[in-house]
Amino acid sequence: MSSVAEAPYFNISDPKFAMHSEEVRNAREQSWYARTNYGIAVLRYNQVSQLLKDQRLSQGSGQWPAHNGVHSGLFYDWWTTCLLVLEGEDHHRIRRLVNPAFSPRHIEPLIPRFEALAEELVEAYASSGRCEFVADFAEPYATRVLCILLGIPESEWPTIARLASTIGLALGITITEELPTIEEALGELYEYAEALIRDRQQNPKDDFITRLVEANKDGDALSDAELRNALVLMIFGGMDTTRNQLGLGMQSFLHNPAQWALLGEKPELGRAATEEVMRTNPTTTWVTREAAVTFEYEGLTIEKGTTVHLFTQTSGTDPMAFPDPEMDIEGEHKPHYGFGGGIHHCLGHFVARADMSVAYPILARRMKDIRLGGVDEWLPDSGNTGPVRLPLTFTPAP
Amino acid sequence: MKIHVDRTLCDNHGQCTITAPSVFRIDDQGILQYEENVDDSLRADIEDSMDVCPVQAIFIVTED
Repeated sequence: MSSVAEAPYFNISDPKFAMHSEEVRNAREQSWYARTNYGIAVLRYNQVSQLLKDQRLSQGSGQWPAHNGVHSGLFYDWWTTCLLVLEGEDHHRIRRLVNPAFSPRHIEPLIPRFEALAEELVEAYASSGRCEFVADFAEPYATRVLCILLGIPESEWPTIARLASTIGLALGITITEELPTIEEALGELYEYAEALIRDRQQNPKDDFITRLVEANKDGDALSDAELRNALVLMIFGGMDTTRNQLGLGMQSFLHNPAQWALLGEKPELGRAATEEVMRTNPTTTWVTREAAVTFEYEGLTIEKGTTVHLFTQTSGTDPMAFPDPEMDIEGEHKPHYGFGGGIHHCLGHFVARADMSVAYPILARRMKDIRLGGVDEWLPDSGNTGPVRLPLTFTPAP
Repeated sequence: MKIHVDRTLCDNHGQCTITAPSVFRIDDQGILQYEENVDDSLRADIEDSMDVCPVQAIFIVTED
């Protein structure tokens, strides 16, 4: 390939655009990148791995509201000051303060509660031999895990799920028309977070929010507003992603019944199953970056301001890095980039890894021979994908 | 205090450069560089770096 004009082209806004497609596989074979209607898409493992951490690229989501005509208001103020889009020392200061609360040593003691929750949810429908996986398992599991982490009564999960999903509308192309609803939900979640912060300031516990409140004690540390914004980001970022990723995992195992049977026999493969699902079928189908400067990379001039989409599933199944790219929960594989990478690497990945590693083996033990049990419905592949509805039938087992 | 980064695990994300910038840095090639001998006063920052490392590649070497 000799010039930019010859690089493959994708319309990534087309609802029919599919990551798992001949079109994308052929493009990856032909070129390390493709042109898109918004900047370029990086398709191969080595280039995704490098560019994800390249400091000439910044996190590319900060301008999202402005690109959609939203220049002020509650949502704009939250989005443009939240950790996700901050850079440099502004980012590092907040990240340094919130990181310790996500430490694996604080997450590990919660694992028995994740196990009990997974067992409880499966038990409620198992004897019928059928479920609608999103409503019956993925959504309550993902949301109640957040409640457990944040120390919110688990009975309040429907409120949290509703608010997080409503704010999630801000990532869609209907952001402008949904803005009043989004801001109402954001206001409600603010009040929720502020009440939690006040409570832990007055009644410290050995829990996640107390650790964040404690990090807030020193003079130049997190302000209450920054802490509130961070909590809202955690709820927003932790709920939809985990729910969608759980459903995508079930899709992967529907296509790989031998792997599902194996996982049911060997629960110790739960972590490997989680990694393999995320490598081959990630909910975050691309990670967005933006060129902070103009630079040369592999013969291509990337102009300042160019949006760079780092394709995760495409890189995670690149035959140049994975000679046998099919899902294999007993194999050894290079790391995937389903949690992004570099300084913006997903903050909550230890929690997500722990809760999914618990859930899949329990599901595999209780739900043998899973099959599609009705009409499924899916979000588009662009951005964050996953099932909206996933009816399953199975053979119940104890 | 002596520290060790397992290069077979390290994926050069650079989270440790946020927690302990005087010890860890990412060079122009995007590769992690670090000080092997670190003053004990930085122990808390090193422990935070170990915790936050996405691939858990940082270790304090215990000599005995």
